[in-house]
Amino acid sequence: MGLMLFSGVIDKTAKIGVVDALLLALIGIVIVFIVLIALMLIVTIEGKIFDGSEKLQKAHPEWGEKLAEVKSKMMFWKKADKAAAQPEVQSEPLAEGTCGELKLINTDERDAAMIMAIVADSTGTPLNELRFKSIKKMEVEEK
Amino acid sequence: MNFGQILGGMDVGQILKNLWEDSGFLGFGLTDGWKALIMIVVALFFLWLAIKKKFEPLLLVGIAFGMLLTNLPGGELFHADWWTGEQAVKTGVDYLEVLRHGGLLDILYIGVKTGVYPCLIFIGVGAMTDFGPMLSRPSSMILGAAAQGGIYLVLILAVATGMFTGGEAASISIIAGADGPTAIFLTKTLAPQLLAPIAVAAYSYMALIPLLQPPFMKLLTTKKERIAVMTATRKVSKKEKIIFPILVTIIVSLLLPSVAPLLGSLMFGNLLKECGVTERLSDTAQNALMNIVTLFLGISVGATAIGATFLTTKTLLIVILGLAGFVLATICGLLIGKLLYVISRGKINPLIGSAGVSAVPMAARVSNTVGLQYNKSNYLLMHAMGPNVAGVIGSAVAAGFLLAVFG
Repeated sequence: MGLMLFSGVIDKTAKIGVVDALLLALIGIVIVFIVLIALMLIVTIEGKIFDGSEKLQKAHPEWGEKLAEVKSKMMFWKKADKAAAQPEVQSEPLAEGTCGELKLINTDERDAAMIMAIVADSTGTPLNELRFKSIKKMEVEEK
Repeated sequence: MNFGQILGGMDVGQILKNLWEDSGFLGFGLTDGWKALIMIVVALFFLWLAIKKKFEPLLLVGIAFGMLLTNLPGGELFHADWWTGEQAVKTGVDYLEVLRHGGLLDILYIGVKTGVYPCLIFIGVGAMTDFGPMLSRPSSMILGAAAQGGIYLVLILAVATGMFTGGEAASISIIAGADGPTAIFLTKTLAPQLLAPIAVAAYSYMALIPLLQPPFMKLLTTKKERIAVMTATRKVSKKEKIIFPILVTIIVSLLLPSVAPLLGSLMFGNLLKECGVTERLSDTAQNALMNIVTLFLGISVGATAIGATFLTTKTLLIVILGLAGFVLATICGLLIGKLLYVISRGKINPLIGSAGVSAVPMAARVSNTVGLQYNKSNYLLMHAMGPNVAGVIGSAVAAGFLLAVFG
C-alpha cells in the first residue's frame, strides 16, 4: 500500500485498515515536517543573506556608494528622469526668521496662501510657527 | 352550504386545501419530517450560541441560518441529492441542472463544491496575516508542523472506529488542523456528505480554544517552563516579507501540487499585503471580499445540514473525534515545545507550542494569556504568532497530502 499512496489509487469511498492508516499517518506527518523544515532552512538562509548584506553595508559604506554608482551607470535610462526631478537652480540664501522654502506643485500662490491660512486657523497655531514643505494639487480620478 | 361555491363559483375550499398541502407544515408529517424539526431546533440553538455567546458569530450565524432554511420543508432552496446523491457520485454533479432548476442555496453551494470559497477566504486570511514573527524565528515552523500530529492521530482513530471510509476519515481528521477553510476544501472533495458536521465541529471548537487548551497547557508544562522569557527576535526586512510568499508558493506547490489552490491563495493575499503597491486590493481582500465570501460560505455550508443525513451516529462521532483532534494537536505542539525548550536551554517557552494549531490568532492569544498568568511581564503573543501562522501552512500541507492520497 505504501507505494500506492502517491499514485492516488486509494479509493476514498472504501474503508482502510488501521495498519494502513498508521502508515499513512506516519508518511503524512513526515511530509509536513519535511516541507516546513525545508521552508525553515530557506527562510533562515534568506535571513542570513539579508542580515549579512546589511552588516557589510555598515562595515564598508564606501561599497554602498560604489554600488550605487555602478547601478546609476547601468540604469542610464533613469538619468533623464532624475535630471528632470532635481531642481536646477540653487536658491539664494534664505532671510533670517523664515522656515525654509515652500514647494508649490500645480498650485498658485493665492491658493497656497489660503491653504496656509486655513491650516493656521484650524490648528490654532500662528502662521510663523508652522512650516510648510510643499503644497500639491491632487488630481482626483473620475470613476 | 357549499363553502367552495361562495365566491363566484370559485372553489375556495379546494384553494385552501391546496395551500395547506403546499405549505411546509405538512412536510413535517412526512418521512424524516421529525428530523427536520429537530434540525430547526439545532439551528436555533446555534443561532443562540452565535448571537448570545458570540461563538464564531461571523460564520455560525450564516451556518445556523442556512441550516434553518434547508430544513424548512417545501422551500426547495437546496437539493442535497444533486450534490451527494448516488447519481452525483457516479457521474458527477450536473451543473446545468443546478443552474436551470436549483434553489438559491444550490447556486451558492457551487462555490463550496468547486472549492472557490475556501480559496477566496484564504486570500483574505493571507492579506491579514503577518508572517514576520515566523520569519524572525524560523524554528517556530517546527511547532507549526508538530501540531499537525493531531490530524494524523485522529485519522487513525477515525479508521479504528470502523464507521468511516478512507475519504471520510481523512476529512474528519482535518478538523484537528483548526482551520475552517482547509477543512471545507478537503471535505467537499473527499466526503461532501459530511461537510456540515465537519464544518460545524471545526468552527465550534475553534471558538472553544480558550477553554480547551489551557488545562492541557498547564498539565503538560512545569512552572519553570511556563515562566521562561523569550527574547526579542531579529527585525525582518520588507524585502524578506515580499520574497517569502513567492518562495513558499513555488516550493510547496512543486512539492505538493494538490495544495497549490489553498496555499497559493494564502500567499497571494499575503503578497498583496506586503508588496506595498496594492493597498486597495489588500484592503478589499481583508474586508469586502472576506465578508462576502464568509456570508456565502456560511449559509451554503449550513444548507448541507439536512436532518436525514445530519442526525446520525456518524455526526456524534465526528463531534467526539473533532474534540479529540483539537486536544491531540495541542498536546503534540506542547510536547515539541518542551523539546525545543530543552534544546534551546530555556530560550523557547513551550507554551507557544500549543499555538501551532492554526486558529489564528486565537491560539496565540491563549499562549500569551497563560504565560501572563505565571509571569506578568512575559508577553508571548508575538512569539506565539510564529507557530500559529506556521500551523496554517502546516494544515494546508497536511490537507494537500490527504488530497493527493484520496483525491
